[in-house]
Amino acid sequence: MAQDSARTELMGKLQRACQNAQPARIYAELNSLGEAPSPTLPASSLCEAFLINVLKNQGTVACTSNRSEAVKAVAEHLHSRFRTRKLVAGNDPRLAAMPWRDGAVLPRFGAAEHGENASLSYACMGIAETGSIVTYTGKSNPAANNLLVEDHIVLVDTATLVATLDDAWTQINKDQQESGRPRGINFISGPSSTADIEAQLVKGAHGPRSWHVILLGEIPEDALSNARNATEA
Amino acid sequence: MSNIPEEQGSAAFLGNVRDSLLETDKVKRRDMLGLFMPLVRDAAVDQFDQFQDLRKQVKGVKQHTLDNLHHYLSQFESEALDNGNQVHFARDSSEMNSIVLGICQSHRAQRVVKGKSMVTEETHLLHHLQRAGLSVVETDLGEYIIQQANETPSHIVGPALHKSADEIRELFLKKHDLGERELEGPTEMVAEARSVLREHFLSADVGIIGANALIAENGYSMLVTNEGNGDLCANLPKVMIVCTTLDRIVPRASDAMAALRLLVRSATGQPITCYTSFYSGPRREQDVDGPIETHFVLLDNKRSDILASDYREMLQCIRCGACLNHCPIYIGVGGHAYGSVYMGPMGSVLTPLLDSLEEAQALPDACTACGRCEEVCPSSIPLPDLLRDLRHEKNREKLTPSRWRLGMKTHAWLLARPRLYHTLSGIGIPVLAWLGRKKGSFKSLMLANGWTDQRDFPAPQGKTFMQQYAAQRKANNGSR
Ligand code: SF4
Repeated sequence: MAQDSARTELMGKLQRACQNAQPARIYAELNSLGEAPSPTLPASSLCEAFLINVLKNQGTVACTSNRSEAVKAVAEHLHSRFRTRKLVAGNDPRLAAMPWRDGAVLPRFGAAEHGENASLSYACMGIAETGSIVTYTGKSNPAANNLLVEDHIVLVDTATLVATLDDAWTQINKDQQESGRPRGINFISGPSSTADIEAQLVKGAHGPRSWHVILLGEIPEDALSNARNATEA
Repeated sequence: MSNIPEEQGSAAFLGNVRDSLLETDKVKRRDMLGLFMPLVRDAAVDQFDQFQDLRKQVKGVKQHTLDNLHHYLSQFESEALDNGNQVHFARDSSEMNSIVLGICQSHRAQRVVKGKSMVTEETHLLHHLQRAGLSVVETDLGEYIIQQANETPSHIVGPALHKSADEIRELFLKKHDLGERELEGPTEMVAEARSVLREHFLSADVGIIGANALIAENGYSMLVTNEGNGDLCANLPKVMIVCTTLDRIVPRASDAMAALRLLVRSATGQPITCYTSFYSGPRREQDVDGPIETHFVLLDNKRSDILASDYREMLQCIRCGACLNHCPIYIGVGGHAYGSVYMGPMGSVLTPLLDSLEEAQALPDACTACGRCEEVCPSSIPLPDLLRDLRHEKNREKLTPSRWRLGMKTHAWLLARPRLYHTLSGIGIPVLAWLGRKKGSFKSLMLANGWTDQRDFPAPQGKTFMQQYAAQRKANNGSR
């Protein structure tokens, strides 16, 4: 078959151009190259650094200390943006267990459809270095929920915050040892945007027009106000 | 037909340059780009204290990866197969195009949505699929605009930045049958494109995307976008095809992260794009969405030759576009003048290697040797050196005009004899200075018409450098 012959030919060419050392030697050499440096975080508190970078990414934020407050924050966002109580959320046990009544929110569990206003994801983690949230595709967060809605609301547990992109992958690898490789891993860092027309930034290209991050857990009291001051300056 | 016909190619570079310098509004937009893009890049890089260390580390890993590409490609292939993908290898453009068409046809696909991919620009995949009767839509806004305008990208990151908002407005009014409307400003235009393209996403049978990295240790591909269009292509249609090249391989996820830190800052000045996604294969048993079948099509198209050549470093390019934004020639003449898929310094190196030096022989000359591209290239590719090597090769292969080669030879001969050189220039310079004393410059010079055709030659001001230097030293010694 043409396919097999292309593969054989190519691999042969690469073999001739390569060193072809034993794998053990290759990995020893790779490890000797050291680790890549990551940028300094904008604050010493992970929460504050994460909030600063979410704000820089054109996200909006709310800080809550328990699940009841988090539901209320969701309700507030839904009301202010769409005058609605409805949203779509994945079949995530953590979302199923939320006290929805505390905010009179009416979730529909499943995959988002075109035309729906808002979705809610429970992030696997938040990354302080880049102000990103991480989701895995699957039943608990169908890919459509990140993409097809107007507003993407994301809950992030402070306990799941990591400092760097590398730390995020350490956690991803741990998760994969338990439950295998998800089809997709998404680092989301802001509402969808484009600068393709005269280099002017416009929010709401193909995905969500707005991105609301609700941090949940133990948060230093002044983290949010510090973050706002840092990004307004 | 396209404004920049494929056939024209890089052979027409000099003619294109002449034309492009006359387009005053485009010249203005390019000047803006040349000011603005370096500013945002510098600001982002300045905020990263250890940026140079990062560059060094990534360069080391990239070199190591290329040295062991056979190993890492095999590892990626086996992980990708384990993840449930089909993996295809394509020797050249036409093989890639027919593999992709074959996959589409096996699913009786009618509609294809495409994310941004320079590799598929290289193979002209869009036209290949269209000729076979498929409806194919580019979904990156910039790519969509140039598809509608029947043009080619003018920049590897911002393909439609050569167009004004007014031109895009006219284009949308003409192409979208949506009745009377104002369509004032980028926000309204983006909103219109969003709703038009959403329909395409929802009805597509096949999604085609590129990859910014292929991670050998786990078989994931990395996709970096701001718009989220690539992710819609990767998640909504039933079939996903990743079209990319061998040189996207990195050993570990952490290496992809390091490259990501360099890429985004160098490309757009952001610390990260809105969407950085990793896809491993088809939907899992429990999944409620995602493609049912996924393919990797890995294109060689001379990469393996480049790997075995002295131009190997060019395979470290991560397609950030920084060298374009910082190149006085690119900013001066724009991407279309190059007549090739890749432009600017990286294009002037790559095009001769991918096409042929004979066809693209004008491109290695498109360099002022200012060195800015190498300075900003996150992969530390010595672009000016590679361009010089290509010029050298051109000379060796006698592609340069014989008179020019003779001149170079004479010059080299003279330089090897400094005493004779100084004597001759000591005579020549005052003569030139005297001849040009009235006007201060020459409109034309014997034996150097090629040079003076394009600009005036300034008349030398008095003595040669060495004479002035000697006089200065003497004066300094005397005053001690
Ligand atoms: S050559 Fe360097 S600067 Fe130019 S696109 Fe490639 S990585 Fe970026």
